[in-house]
Amino acid sequence: MKKLHILIFIISSFFGVQSYAQQSSDTIKKQELYGIRVGIDINKPITTFFDNENKGLEIVGDIRILNNYYLATEIGNITKTTNEDYINFTTKGSYIKVGFNYNAYKNWIGMRNEIYVGIRYGISFFNQTLNNYTPNSNGTYFNNIPIENGTKFSSLTAQWYALVFGMKVETLKNLYLGTSVSFNKMISTKEPENFKNLYVPGFNRVFLNNSGVSFNYTLSYLIPIIKKKK
Amino acid sequence: MKKQIILLLLLIIAVTSCEKDDICIDAVTPNLIIRFYKDTIPTELKNVQLDSVWAINKSKLSNYKGIETDSIAIPLNLNENSTKYILENNTVKDTIEFTYTRSDVFVSRSCGYKTIFNDFQIDSNTNNWIKSITINNTTITNEKAAHINIYH
Repeated sequence: MKKLHILIFIISSFFGVQSYAQQSSDTIKKQELYGIRVGIDINKPITTFFDNENKGLEIVGDIRILNNYYLATEIGNITKTTNEDYINFTTKGSYIKVGFNYNAYKNWIGMRNEIYVGIRYGISFFNQTLNNYTPNSNGTYFNNIPIENGTKFSSLTAQWYALVFGMKVETLKNLYLGTSVSFNKMISTKEPENFKNLYVPGFNRVFLNNSGVSFNYTLSYLIPIIKKKK
Repeated sequence: MKKQIILLLLLIIAVTSCEKDDICIDAVTPNLIIRFYKDTIPTELKNVQLDSVWAINKSKLSNYKGIETDSIAIPLNLNENSTKYILENNTVKDTIEFTYTRSDVFVSRSCGYKTIFNDFQIDSNTNNWIKSITINNTTITNEKAAHINIYH
């Protein structure tokens, strides 16, 4: 039965079909669980496994504080090498994001799934290493030789806010699969001299208008603390 | 509510994914701009009949082959602190050697770094068809004005 519910939930969330729940007078008691949910981003360890230059780890957590409101956080560490046409650099650093999620999904009795919107404040501490660059000139009359630079720009910071959309599905008891997309907008950065923060851990690629998009796919476990009957 | 969220999500993805900073449109390393003036009246531009222009040990610059012009823009060698050019005018050749120091300035993600030139000087030159040369600015950062004048 539970599997069927999950299936219907997934299908309906993709197509937006309003399914009709059986409003039967069965004996399931409505129980609201309050607890701490902790998990990891399962995408980053997979990337780390296949790619030596890019490493990452993200731990996620949330606490239900009101009926539909959750205090949420993501903490992570990333090493990433970015290769552009004329530059190659490595970004290393840690970040923390804190904020709230609002669950907009009305669950059926006994289910605890979420489709949520959220806001976050993010801060990152990192360094950038300019590995090499090729001076850019119009045309290729002289073949410009790449310059092995290796300059390390240390103690850089960035702060941003984000709008988050996501969903969490309880697949096994208290075990959740989740995915979310975050639209980030930079508040302030400490920029390196004669270079730019083109990638910021937690923020992802920094676009020209100082915005960015990041994703995560999470596996998390709910540690129940309080059970409330509604 | 659910429908609205999904619609909003698609809208934001559509809007943000269209941004392009993959194409370099900013000014990069400036070329050396040379203008040709009349030797007898130094304020008057005078066309030169260029057979060809090339840097030593390099092929001839394709856009200055057998043309009549009063100005040219030629690249400087970014791998060394000097560039030697040969300018051929009506089968008469003149050689000019430029010296400079280079510094690289960050432009953008897609453009990377551009080089600007300081202490720009003419190390040596021959005077077969060229009468004299003046340097307008010893720092070359853009292509807005001529950097050197050649009188002939």
